[in-house]
Amino acid sequence: MSALKQLASRFFGGNTVFARRTVGGIQPLPFKEHSLRSRIMSTPIPQQLTIPIGAEESGQISLLVGIGDQVRKYQRLAVISLHTDGRSDVPVHAPTSGVITSIENSIVADHSEQQQRCIGLAVDGHDEALQLEPHSDYSQLPSTDIVSLIRDAGIIGMGGAGFPAADKLSKCGDSAPEFLIINAAECEPYITADEALLRERAGKVVAGAKILKRASAAQRYIIAIEDTKPDAIAALQQALQDDTSPETPCELVLIPSKYPAGSERQLIQCVTGREIASGQHPTENGVVMHNVGTAYAVYEAIVEGKPCISRFTTLCGKALKTPKNFEALIGTAADFLFELCGIEANNKQMSIVGGSLMGNELTSDKAVICKTTNCLIAACASEIATSKPEQACIRCGFCADVCPSKLLPQQLLAFSRTTDTTQLIEHGLFDCIECGACDYVCPSHIPLVSTYKKSKKVIETRQQSLECSDYWQQRFQFRQYRIKKEKEQALSRKTDSSTKPARTAERTAKALSEAADFISKEQASRDIAAAVARVKARRDEKNK
Amino acid sequence: MSGLKASAPFQHSGRNVAQLMQTLLYALLPGVFASLWFFGFGILINIAIAISFAVCAEAAMLRLRNRDIRSHLSDRSAFVTAILFAIAIPPGSPWWLVALGILFAIVIAKHLYGGLGQNPFNPAMCGYAMLLLAFPLEMTGWHIPNEVINGQLAVDSLGIPTSPEREFLNPLSWEGFKQALLLAFPFAASGATNVSEFVDGLAMATPLIEFKMAGKSAILAARESGASLFARDSETAWEIINIGYLFGGLFLLYKKIISWHIPLAIIATIFVLAALFYAPGSVTIYGTPYLHLLGSATMIGAFFIATDPVSAATTRPGKLVYGIIIGASIYSIRVWGSYLDSIAFAVLFGNFCAPILDQYCRPRMFGHGLSSKSRRNEEALEP
Repeated sequence: MSALKQLASRFFGGNTVFARRTVGGIQPLPFKEHSLRSRIMSTPIPQQLTIPIGAEESGQISLLVGIGDQVRKYQRLAVISLHTDGRSDVPVHAPTSGVITSIENSIVADHSEQQQRCIGLAVDGHDEALQLEPHSDYSQLPSTDIVSLIRDAGIIGMGGAGFPAADKLSKCGDSAPEFLIINAAECEPYITADEALLRERAGKVVAGAKILKRASAAQRYIIAIEDTKPDAIAALQQALQDDTSPETPCELVLIPSKYPAGSERQLIQCVTGREIASGQHPTENGVVMHNVGTAYAVYEAIVEGKPCISRFTTLCGKALKTPKNFEALIGTAADFLFELCGIEANNKQMSIVGGSLMGNELTSDKAVICKTTNCLIAACASEIATSKPEQACIRCGFCADVCPSKLLPQQLLAFSRTTDTTQLIEHGLFDCIECGACDYVCPSHIPLVSTYKKSKKVIETRQQSLECSDYWQQRFQFRQYRIKKEKEQALSRKTDSSTKPARTAERTAKALSEAADFISKEQASRDIAAAVARVKARRDEKNK
Repeated sequence: MSGLKASAPFQHSGRNVAQLMQTLLYALLPGVFASLWFFGFGILINIAIAISFAVCAEAAMLRLRNRDIRSHLSDRSAFVTAILFAIAIPPGSPWWLVALGILFAIVIAKHLYGGLGQNPFNPAMCGYAMLLLAFPLEMTGWHIPNEVINGQLAVDSLGIPTSPEREFLNPLSWEGFKQALLLAFPFAASGATNVSEFVDGLAMATPLIEFKMAGKSAILAARESGASLFARDSETAWEIINIGYLFGGLFLLYKKIISWHIPLAIIATIFVLAALFYAPGSVTIYGTPYLHLLGSATMIGAFFIATDPVSAATTRPGKLVYGIIIGASIYSIRVWGSYLDSIAFAVLFGNFCAPILDQYCRPRMFGHGLSSKSRRNEEALEP
């Protein structure tokens, strides 16, 4: 086996190795060739940009500009402090110069289907930019500085999850990770943004990877790419050859082309053989993974000093005359990009954000590009699977054969139908990565993934309401206790005629401190948050 | 937009249940043709009767359950049940026997449990087992249009002709067809009190009886004596039929309709048990492994009946255990039990075990059950 590997690496160049095969997975039609015919195009600057900051639920937004302010390119507009463990801040920058016209909620082309707080920018067309601070010699920078520069540039995971890149680096903590993996596995059909980026700018990606390696102090760094992308592989090999720095060289790992090969845990297993335990973070296992697009953004942020104001997005689908990859400014509307590709509006049946397997339907073409929008599909009717009537599950087990998490989708379906929470959790419902491979192969056309999503939601809300009721039960018990205490005090007061006001005050203070012990502040704040959420949900329901 | 999928994934492999069932039906063809060749039109008449009653029963039940008849009938599951059932029933059985069995299978074993996907037991085998318990006599004789009765036919105690110069009636001839029809619809022979007056058939017990006594491969015997393998008097019928179903089963494996776990587990278990208990030269009933695999209905059981996904275990380790249970049951019932056609009871017994197998024989989920040692033990990449 190793002889084969050696032979292959000789054929493909110095550092290339082949990874093992992974469990499960499917090989759908890729539909990738159309958008790869032309080179990456920078979009012309649109008249209006709507720059998403983030969903209000996901973090604390602090605005740095107001309506009517004149802003310049690269200027910081707002910061969102995400409600993650690290409470990390992600700044948002102006993609070009103009005047702030609005600050409101708007639809964003991403996976969450939530509205996000957005800043409207009327573009003046001058594209006046702030002075940038390049650090072309990053090898002199200490890693903490690199991390803070990455944080200031507002870089989040460009692969789709959108986890702040700086947090991922600082999460490794004191121990340096063993592996830094650059994820170039773009396994979902239609999407070619990463592949195009590698074909044209592999050198910058490799440099970005090197910066990330420096920042994370990883021992080895690996670029993992599918073996079906010869152009990108050749470009990467060229870039690796050109790289003459004395550091440990970057390794290139070719992985089998299978969906969902690019999924974080699956890729880590494929490349390193490490299986990340359920519920653990890869960084706890000495692995940190970044997307190719993130590596490129990091390169730009450090070497050119440019904050993240654009991203690579694939525009494809049969309703477009010339599908291609764009370097699109954050905040560009989807229909603007569709127009640039020559959309045949009559043919378009549906707009999809993301690939065809995990993407969402875009409810409006006014939705704007955010930092995680990797693909927009203007799909013809012929491209989308027809929704066939759902038939009975015959337990054929095709779904279990393709599940990358080695779950039993057929059993999960049965337990979802009976809402058997215990069995659902035991059968790993929360290990489902919602890749849709089971849906893809189901001969009975059962919408498995949406069923699991619903079940997850049901279980989560049930858990929350349980916590809530526990809390209220505690409060009630405390009230009973307090009333009992008061009665006892009243009795003792009657019997003990020599009661003094001072003693009463003392008692009250004691009771109060007991109360404070009983209901911690944390609980109170959680209670308030839950109440707010409840009111909101009720209001939303009414609005519907 | 109606008619298109509204949620991810927006692509589909294009496989559907009707296709799977269709492929299954194709895979049955070699075995059915072999049966047809050796035993005549009886099997086709069985299939025709079973399908017509199955479709009617399915439609009636769907109507009673307020389901869309067309879309549910088009999944072809009723056809599969009917054909598997019809193949298991002895050719030349009267129509009411076939009808009763298939009605039991579709109405009680399938729809009363909630229809396709909900039945805990294999419907075809339920119908078969019911008939075997209720009509043991009718279910254990294979009426085969056999030979022109000339009055002097010598028959041994088991009803197997011993006369060496037998003149076979071609079961595929018009005469053979007529006989098969008369066997299926005895009332059609107007005025006759006894069907056997019209039918020159011979009640032949199921093949394993012979093997319990003899224990020699008919194919080998035929090769030794120079007889043609496909000649009806060379008694290679069961082996050829089984080989037909084996090929059908391999086709299903190739098409990935079934997984290898259940058939392999069944065949391996039977093979191992038969090899363990077989005593060469002894006159006991233990047949050779070869005869256990190819002598009776083992192949159709292993590839077509036990693999019915609805009633089988669904996890991979579960499937292996399920196959072992069925294989062991098949052998035990055959050798130590009082029923010869043991597939039905073995599969039903396996069905009983399936839910518990699914619960306890689960594959390890990704990222679960990792000991700290195994996590450290990972194979490092070669630099």
